[in-house]
Amino acid sequence: MEPLIDVNCSPIECTSLSPSAPIWQDILAQAMTGELLAAMNYTSLSEICDDPAEVADALEHSECERGHAAAFAAEGRKIGVQVCNNVDAKHWKRLRDAFLRCITERDFIGCLIVQEIMLESFAVASYSRVGKVGPGSLGETFARIAAEEGEHVDHAMSILRAERARDAQRFDDKVYRLHLDVMTTLAKMLAKECKDGHCEVCHSSCVKPSLFEVSLSAAELRGASLQQYLKTLDLLGIPGEVTLTWITQLPM
Amino acid sequence: MDNSVANVATPARTIGVDLPLSVDFALIGHQESWRAAADVLAVLRGPERTPLPDDEIKDILPWIPPRAVCHVDVGSIVRTKSGGARAGGLYIDSFIPPDRLEAAYVHENIARVRKAAACAIQAGAKIVSLGGFSSILIEGNFDQLPDRHDTVFTTGNTLTVAFIVQGIQKMCALENRNIRKSTLLIVGATGDVGSGCARCLAPLVRRVLLSARKVERLRRLAAELEANGVQVEIETDLQRFSAEADVVICAASLASPSLLLGRIASDAIVCDAGYPKNLSPTAEMLDAKVFFGGLGQITGGMKFTPDFHGILNRHPFPDVVHGCLLEGMALALEHRFEPFSQGRGFITQERVAEIETIAARHGIYLAPLYNADGPLEDGLDARWNGREDESIGRKTKTKSNSVARYFGRRENWPAYPIFAPGVNTDR
Repeated sequence: MEPLIDVNCSPIECTSLSPSAPIWQDILAQAMTGELLAAMNYTSLSEICDDPAEVADALEHSECERGHAAAFAAEGRKIGVQVCNNVDAKHWKRLRDAFLRCITERDFIGCLIVQEIMLESFAVASYSRVGKVGPGSLGETFARIAAEEGEHVDHAMSILRAERARDAQRFDDKVYRLHLDVMTTLAKMLAKECKDGHCEVCHSSCVKPSLFEVSLSAAELRGASLQQYLKTLDLLGIPGEVTLTWITQLPM
Repeated sequence: MDNSVANVATPARTIGVDLPLSVDFALIGHQESWRAAADVLAVLRGPERTPLPDDEIKDILPWIPPRAVCHVDVGSIVRTKSGGARAGGLYIDSFIPPDRLEAAYVHENIARVRKAAACAIQAGAKIVSLGGFSSILIEGNFDQLPDRHDTVFTTGNTLTVAFIVQGIQKMCALENRNIRKSTLLIVGATGDVGSGCARCLAPLVRRVLLSARKVERLRRLAAELEANGVQVEIETDLQRFSAEADVVICAASLASPSLLLGRIASDAIVCDAGYPKNLSPTAEMLDAKVFFGGLGQITGGMKFTPDFHGILNRHPFPDVVHGCLLEGMALALEHRFEPFSQGRGFITQERVAEIETIAARHGIYLAPLYNADGPLEDGLDARWNGREDESIGRKTKTKSNSVARYFGRRENWPAYPIFAPGVNTDR
């Protein structure tokens, strides 16, 4: 596997004079980590694709996600902070492990469900919210990347809808099984408070209590993410009353 | 297509839900208090999981897109070759947050109702009833509903009016009041329900007092009633009527229980027909006979899947539902898939009589009268309103026991926003 930009997360001092810079530093760190994880996932996906076109597609997606990670790092530099990342942080590692289980099973559809339906719902929704309040080019970058991630989802939706049309029961069972694995971890990440200790991505203490200082809140990011996830599942055709039960049973 | 019934049914079987095979009707509603919303989420979350804390519910609920919550199966007393006639449907919650019913959120709420309507259409519902604020928001704006294909919409207000009128008449009988000597006050008189009640009850009372916010609409309604020889007085300010009312209908579209009645007789009969309830928790009407109006009961039985009994229908009697929702069920049982109630101000005595007949044919009758303190009637009369039908009589014993059981479990009592302890936490 190709080496990543920097997977170590040593404490990095914030050198910016802006009082909100440390908050943006952590937001960017989470986003950058997510993008690098997505890049790794697409690279892994390319390894189980048989069709050369699919291999090329997965590698192109991987490059795109690396570009997003680099863009977040660049935005950090613009405000005078170095953005760290840690794909081995506990929650992110669990998400990566869930994806790798699909890879081990050579489950292409499972991979798409994890990456495009679950992780991208989280990314699209949270980046969109950050894009609305982020200052200057930082906000623009989040908004732009949210739109690009949305296009990824659109691409995957046609494949997943076709798969569901073949056997809705089997497809929905698979989504539910992956939901229990992946969304439980995402729900813990999105909880208003990190009850399981430090997330291993924030550069010092948890950023969540400070989000209000940049017109965000953990509750808003969670709500928007779950809403996006539900809407995406609706587009797949999974009945709303079923998916409603799924999300109400997540840890909060 | 994603909206096939098979697609609705199949995945739910995965989680052990036995679903109906057709969607004859859909009911669009929302919860009137945070307590009610919490109970809905608790059922969905399941008994093995800790209920969500109140603050989490308030954070999460506003983000939930409108969607079906459960399946509803209703029975008719009409017998067919294969047994009792039945109709299957969906309850769709618009997830309007209980603290966002004010005018400031009207556009957001209309958008939610539209999305809920789209869910009903996608599910292939043949008729859709709009409950609570859903109908208030849409009754003058039917063009704002999505393209309907084969789905028709009814506000359900005609059957609500029928049950309010029946409730008033019954309460007068129980209290030995001569309705013909009464002065009737209608609060929210120019709304669809209020004006319907006015048309039905004005010929029966001595005098009518009409109150609403818009004076022009009041004048038009008063002129209509006066043309039929009714003595009418209108006021936008409840305190300014020249006479005291001894029968009152509260049918205002208020975002919260906040109405303080002014000059009414101390022992007035008061029907609170609002959703959310109209009357303020601070209203002191010690001798007034208050009851909750507009409610009916399905004697052919009703089943929720998953089981939301006592949660979605938070009443102290089984199978009691708001008239607006019952209208869609009654029309579905009758196989009359038509927009029976639409727009504002078109409810007439004839239309009320027609929907009453349809509902009664399928065993849908006025619910036993009650208020926040409990039932206002006892025994057989309370259950079945004195009907003589033998089959109904047989059911009565069982149902009465059921009522006793219900009231034996305090936790099952409805947490009504008026008079109930702790209600102010809702707002």
